[in-house]
Amino acid sequence: MISELIINAFLVTVMLAIGIALLRTRTLIFTVVLTSAYSLVAALMFITLDAVDVAFTEASVGAGISTILFLAAMAYLPKEEEENINSQTLPALTCILLGGILIWCSYDLPEIGLLSSPVHQHIVPDYILGSRDDIGIPNIVTSVLASYRGYDTFGETIVVFTAGVAVLVLLKNNTQTSKQKNKNSKRKVS
Amino acid sequence: MISSTIGIWNYWIVFLLMMIGLFLVIGRKNFLKKIVGLTIFQTSVFLLYITFGKIKGGTPPILNNAIDTVYSNPLPHVLILTAIVVGVATTALGLSLVLRINSEYGSIEEDEISAQDLVDYHDQIETSKKIDTKFIQ
Repeated sequence: MISELIINAFLVTVMLAIGIALLRTRTLIFTVVLTSAYSLVAALMFITLDAVDVAFTEASVGAGISTILFLAAMAYLPKEEEENINSQTLPALTCILLGGILIWCSYDLPEIGLLSSPVHQHIVPDYILGSRDDIGIPNIVTSVLASYRGYDTFGETIVVFTAGVAVLVLLKNNTQTSKQKNKNSKRKVS
Repeated sequence: MISSTIGIWNYWIVFLLMMIGLFLVIGRKNFLKKIVGLTIFQTSVFLLYITFGKIKGGTPPILNNAIDTVYSNPLPHVLILTAIVVGVATTALGLSLVLRINSEYGSIEEDEISAQDLVDYHDQIETSKKIDTKFIQ
C-alpha cells in the first residue's frame, strides 16, 4: 500500500520536472511534445490511483488528439517564441503567492487514501451498492456516467457540439478573409 | 513523519503544477504558450480530483464477486472523464482563435499585436483630422 504512494510521489515529481522544462524552453515544437509527455505521465498516475477509465481517456484524448491538434496548428504558426521585453516579476510573484497559500491550506486536506475522508461519505456508497441491481453493468464508472448522471454527459455533448460549430465558423471566415485580402491586393496592384 | 509527508506530497506537487500553468498563461506573451499553460492547469486539476478519489488498498471501481472488496470512489472519475473531453474542445477552440489572429496580424505575440493596434488607431485619428481640415477649407 505504501509502495503505491511512493510510485505516485515519484511520478508526480517527474511531472514537476516536465513542467519546469516547459517553463525553460523557447521552441514551440518542444513545448508541444513536452505537453504530450506530461499527459502520458498523468495517465500512468491515473492507473496507480485506480482510475483506469480516466487513464485510457487521458492517454488517447489528452496525449493523442490534443497533440495532433497542436501540431496541425503549428503548421501555420511561427516556430519560435520571442524573448519577452517586459519583466515577468509581477506574474511570477502572483503565482508564488497563490501557490504558497494553496500549500499552506493543504495541511487541512485529508491524507491520500483514507476511507474516512468526506469525499467518500455522501452519495457514492449508494452508487456502488445499487449499481448492479439498478443498471446491471459491472463498470460503476460507466453506470454513473451514462445513467445516474446522464444529464452531465448530455451537457458535455452540447459543449463539444458548440465548440465544434465555433471552430468551423472561425476557420471558414479565416479562408474567406485571406481570399478577400488577395483580391484586394491584386486590385491595388492593377 | 515520512508517511504523512507522502500523504500530502501529491497535493503539494499538484499545486506547484497549477502555478506553472497559471504562470504560462499570465506571464508569457505567446498565445500558443498560453494555451499550453491552460492544458497544464487542466491536467493538474484532474490529478487533484483523482487523488481525492483514491482509497488505500482499493481496486478500480469495476464490480467483482468477492464479498469484502473496497472500491475507489467512482464519482471523481466520472467528473474528470467529462472534463477531459470538454478540455480538448476548449483547446481546439483556442487554437482556431490563434490561427485566426495569426492570419489577421501575422504574429501570435501579444506585444506585437497591441503595437499594431496602436498604430492603426493613430492612423485612424490622423485620417479623420485630414478629412476635418478638408471640410474646413
